[in-house]
Amino acid sequence: MFKLKNKMISGIVLAMGTLLFTMPAVHAKKYDGVTVNILTMEAPQIKGPMVKRAPDFKKLTGATVNIIGVPFADIYPKMEADFATGTNSIDGAVFAPQWMVDFIEPGYLEDLTSKVKADSAIEWDDIGYFFRSFSSTYGGKIYTIPLDGDFHMIYYRTDLLDAAGISPPTTWEEYTYIASRFHGQDMNGDGTPDYGSCISKKRNAQAYWMILSVAGGFIQAKGTGEGMFFDTKTMKPMVNNEAFSRALDIYKETTKFAPPDEINLDVGDTRGLWTAGRCALTLDWGDIGTLAIEKGSKVKGKTGAAILPGSRKVLDRSSGKLVSCDRARCPYAINGVNHAPFAAYGGWSGAINTASSARVKDAAYDFFSYMAQAKQSNVDVTIGITGMNPYRVSQFENLSNWTNAGFSKASAENYLGAIKASLNSPNMILDLRVPKNQRYQQVVLDTEVHRFLSGEISKQEAMQRIEDGWEEVTEEMGRDGQLNAYRNTLGY
Amino acid sequence: MTHPNSIEEHLDRQAPAVFIMPAVLVVLCFSIFPLIVSLFVALSRLKFVKGGIEAKYIGFLNFKKLIFGSQQYHFLGKFDQLTTTGYVIMSVFVILILVWFYRYFRSTNLSIVGTIGRFVVATGLFFLLMLTLINLTTPKGLPGTLVVTLTYVILGVIFQFLIGLGLALLCVKKIRGQSFFKMVFFIPMMITPVGIAYLFRMLTDMTKGPFAPVVMWLGFEETSWAVIPWGARIAVMIGDAWQWIPFMFIVLLAGLESLPTEQKEAALMDGAGSWQIFRDITWPTLLPVTVTIILIRLIEAFKIIDLPNVMTNGGPGIATESLSLHSYFNWRTMDLSGSAAVGYLLMVVAVFICLSFVSLVKKRVEIAQQ
Amino acid sequence: MNIWQKITKKRSLEDSSVLESILSYLILGIWAFICIFPIYWVLVTSIKEPHVVNQGPFYIPFVDFQPSLHAWEFVFMQESMNTLRPFFNTVIISLISAFITLLIGSMAGYALVRIHYRPKIVSIACFILILILAILLITKMGMDWRLVLTSGTAIFLLFIFTLSRRFKASLGNNDIGFWMISQRILPPVVVVIPVYIFYQQLGILDTYLAMVITYVAINIPIVVWLMRDFFFSIPVDLEENAALDGASRYRIFTTIVLPLAKPGLSATFMLVLILCWNEYLLSLFISMTDTQTLPLMIASMNTTRGPQWWYMSVIIILMIIPVILIALFLYRFIVRGLLVGAIKG
Repeated sequence: MFKLKNKMISGIVLAMGTLLFTMPAVHAKKYDGVTVNILTMEAPQIKGPMVKRAPDFKKLTGATVNIIGVPFADIYPKMEADFATGTNSIDGAVFAPQWMVDFIEPGYLEDLTSKVKADSAIEWDDIGYFFRSFSSTYGGKIYTIPLDGDFHMIYYRTDLLDAAGISPPTTWEEYTYIASRFHGQDMNGDGTPDYGSCISKKRNAQAYWMILSVAGGFIQAKGTGEGMFFDTKTMKPMVNNEAFSRALDIYKETTKFAPPDEINLDVGDTRGLWTAGRCALTLDWGDIGTLAIEKGSKVKGKTGAAILPGSRKVLDRSSGKLVSCDRARCPYAINGVNHAPFAAYGGWSGAINTASSARVKDAAYDFFSYMAQAKQSNVDVTIGITGMNPYRVSQFENLSNWTNAGFSKASAENYLGAIKASLNSPNMILDLRVPKNQRYQQVVLDTEVHRFLSGEISKQEAMQRIEDGWEEVTEEMGRDGQLNAYRNTLGY
Repeated sequence: MTHPNSIEEHLDRQAPAVFIMPAVLVVLCFSIFPLIVSLFVALSRLKFVKGGIEAKYIGFLNFKKLIFGSQQYHFLGKFDQLTTTGYVIMSVFVILILVWFYRYFRSTNLSIVGTIGRFVVATGLFFLLMLTLINLTTPKGLPGTLVVTLTYVILGVIFQFLIGLGLALLCVKKIRGQSFFKMVFFIPMMITPVGIAYLFRMLTDMTKGPFAPVVMWLGFEETSWAVIPWGARIAVMIGDAWQWIPFMFIVLLAGLESLPTEQKEAALMDGAGSWQIFRDITWPTLLPVTVTIILIRLIEAFKIIDLPNVMTNGGPGIATESLSLHSYFNWRTMDLSGSAAVGYLLMVVAVFICLSFVSLVKKRVEIAQQ
Repeated sequence: MNIWQKITKKRSLEDSSVLESILSYLILGIWAFICIFPIYWVLVTSIKEPHVVNQGPFYIPFVDFQPSLHAWEFVFMQESMNTLRPFFNTVIISLISAFITLLIGSMAGYALVRIHYRPKIVSIACFILILILAILLITKMGMDWRLVLTSGTAIFLLFIFTLSRRFKASLGNNDIGFWMISQRILPPVVVVIPVYIFYQQLGILDTYLAMVITYVAINIPIVVWLMRDFFFSIPVDLEENAALDGASRYRIFTTIVLPLAKPGLSATFMLVLILCWNEYLLSLFISMTDTQTLPLMIASMNTTRGPQWWYMSVIIILMIIPVILIALFLYRFIVRGLLVGAIKG
């Protein structure tokens, strides 16, 4: 009895063993058996294209890429909790590079400089100068791979402006003038009056980037390295001066020509209004261009884009007053107007957890590289639902991708022209990325600006409170550390 | 009874412990542990460093910031001088308190604990009332999250109770389709709060919500509820009411249905009007139920967070931000100690109000019932 | 009689007059509309295309706008893995949690009604002090938790047998009950990080075990509170008779009390199920990939592009339907149950 059982068992084991060994180890792929967990926002945007391409990546390399999605507002706490408590269940994350300093300082993120240098497929130089030199780096080292290019532009209704013979606004004063000119007209043929300007101003959403876009042109003029948030020697906030005051005035004035509940609209709402044809002007990321050509949009072929309006006067940092632009003060001015395109948010980028095993880290890097390579990325940026906006030079050269996606030749040229102008600007503003930047922007700036807009506090009070609030955070975090980090991000 | 089976009897003797210990242990662990850890967190400043969390003890700084420091406008609101009406109300309140104390001292069951308890309740209510008046009735006063939360809780519970009671009274009568109505009224309670929040955001949208034509017809299209502080707060309270009125309705209905009808019929025979019947018969019987569900509702109401978060993100300014939301915002920007501090203050206020309610109202009702 | 008299006439004292009936129906009808309309709106939104949603209110499919199943298709086909798994998780976790909570909670509720507890204040104070000390030792000094646990228990037992003899002051059942319900006052935001760290140390993050434990812990108070009332209404004589016949407490509980309390049990089960089903904050933090639940899906439809109303509507409907079905099924029990409990307040 026993003997028979034994024989059977050994027979089975032998059979299984041979089976396993003779199993075709065909094409032993580079990352066979490797699983990479990547955390990002739970949405069709950003996550969608990654999930779509993960199977292709698996065919190429054998690595299984798991994309984990969480609600947008919870990416940051989840990452921090996972890294700090040593859980390390996340191997990589696609998030806002703005937050990367909070993760680099304690040493959670992998330095990717050597990997990028050894990687020819990614064509690093094809990526826009700003994104590869400022957005992905800290202290000179590369920490993130950009998958998306984020910056603000304004959009205007080409049909309305052409009919009135007005050219797109180049200064904020022109913007408010045009908004007032068209406010109240019916712009989409449904009989109801529409709005001159639609800007998202909702609290705790994306509004705090909007005010910075308005203020940028008044504050930064000498190139990205000048910075717009703090004084690079003393870390004093630059929010309590004539320039910011002027920006707040303009920001509040646009509310006059906007939907009545504008201060409760987030970008989802304003984009909806735009594609329904109810706004003459809007301020937003690149999504408007690709949204405008989608089915059901009333503004297809009527959406024009332009570089962020600027100002003829900029801030003199020692006196705190606005002074007129000249060649010395505004070296990058176009026709006497200083433009400072704002790379708000920085563009979704992928970073890698240092604590993961070497093989997993390599696989994660290869996946990010794969997503960022021109072959994949150039297609993704033309499709609205991917949420990815252009950031590679080659994405502007070839119009066919865009016209294939549905842009008319004229719209594509206009849209890409504006992006190119912004991307090539040496005066692009780098979003704030010192440790705890969320406290500065989301807690202090956003709340006080919203209180100012709703009439709770005066403009003077708002600026004072923002300055005090920022100083408080700086003191709490340690002034020297913050100053050091700020200088690092600007490339000093 | 001869020799009892010792194991069985032993087990039976342990029954009291066995029955209650699992629940007590689980709740104890999950309440004491977070309470203590949160206290640590609230008393320190957390920093994330490689390998873990670094906590630096800073004492009551976080609390000081909320009550006296830079976050005072956020938590307590903006202050201003009381108006004359405010003074009048405060004086009336003080007089009531004095009368209350006087009656207590004249009564038979004095005790130290009782006196201290009453004193605490009196001072607490005094401060809360003054704060509310300062924030809401003065020309330049603005409410902070504390008073906003109190508004949601007190106004909300009262409103929900009254409507729930009204609906229950209507449903009690012999009406056809009673079960249909009961079924339908029950639905709102079953949707997840996050879902309800987004639902109401959709409904109250001025451009694409279903009521947009109504607003236009009324001529209000130039303004929006989201821009006016009280408009926004009322919108949040409407959403909250929609969600919780079913709860009040169902319990009150059950209570009403259990009323003995003979009393009512006798009263009707004697020619009593319906208001009298309600006041003398229905209401006293309903009291215990009322008090229980109001207590449960009070406890849950202090935690309101999803509605203001989704509908207005706490805006305009900070007009709709509740204490729980305040804590959540802090937490989201990784200001964990600030978040824990606000959470603790919320707990203190909630416990104070609930305890006051229990000792002032509930106990009295229970005594009256016996 | 003139019209006014006709419509205010009452056939009997209990009946309502015509006027009253009309008013009642009107008000009830209005409220029913208020309850149903939002659900209708969600249904309708789920079959609208994005541009239809954005362009303003359209009310009736086929009449006002062309319905499309794109949102349903997206959620069920394209994102099926993403939708089915959370749905599955929600169902399983809620059912298991509700069941366990009901078990533990009703035992405690029953005990609070029938057994007279007198926990000494001193013992409680000792317990809490030792617990605090233990936590301090483990976190600050990094001592091994097993060592601390055993020595803590030993010290506590020692204290009980000595100190508690000396001090007589004790609390009663009502105090235990109130303490339990007051646990609900703790805002989840305060609880999240300690619980997260606790689970992380134990290595059970993102597991069903962690989710179930958490939901059980936060819902026991409600079960105890409600079941206490239901058990109160069951006449003691039945139990006393059984005890005289020699039945143990456990037998009495399972064979006599529980069957009688079925309405109450159903009502409470339903309530806890709903609470677990709809819980958002704690599940957000404890789950990662394996245990994500449906409320998270709803919140995540609010992207940087703004809320994707159509997808969200589909998920909301997905969440409501099972709960409504269960409610329909248990409805009779619930009403009877709440009724019984309500009288006793």
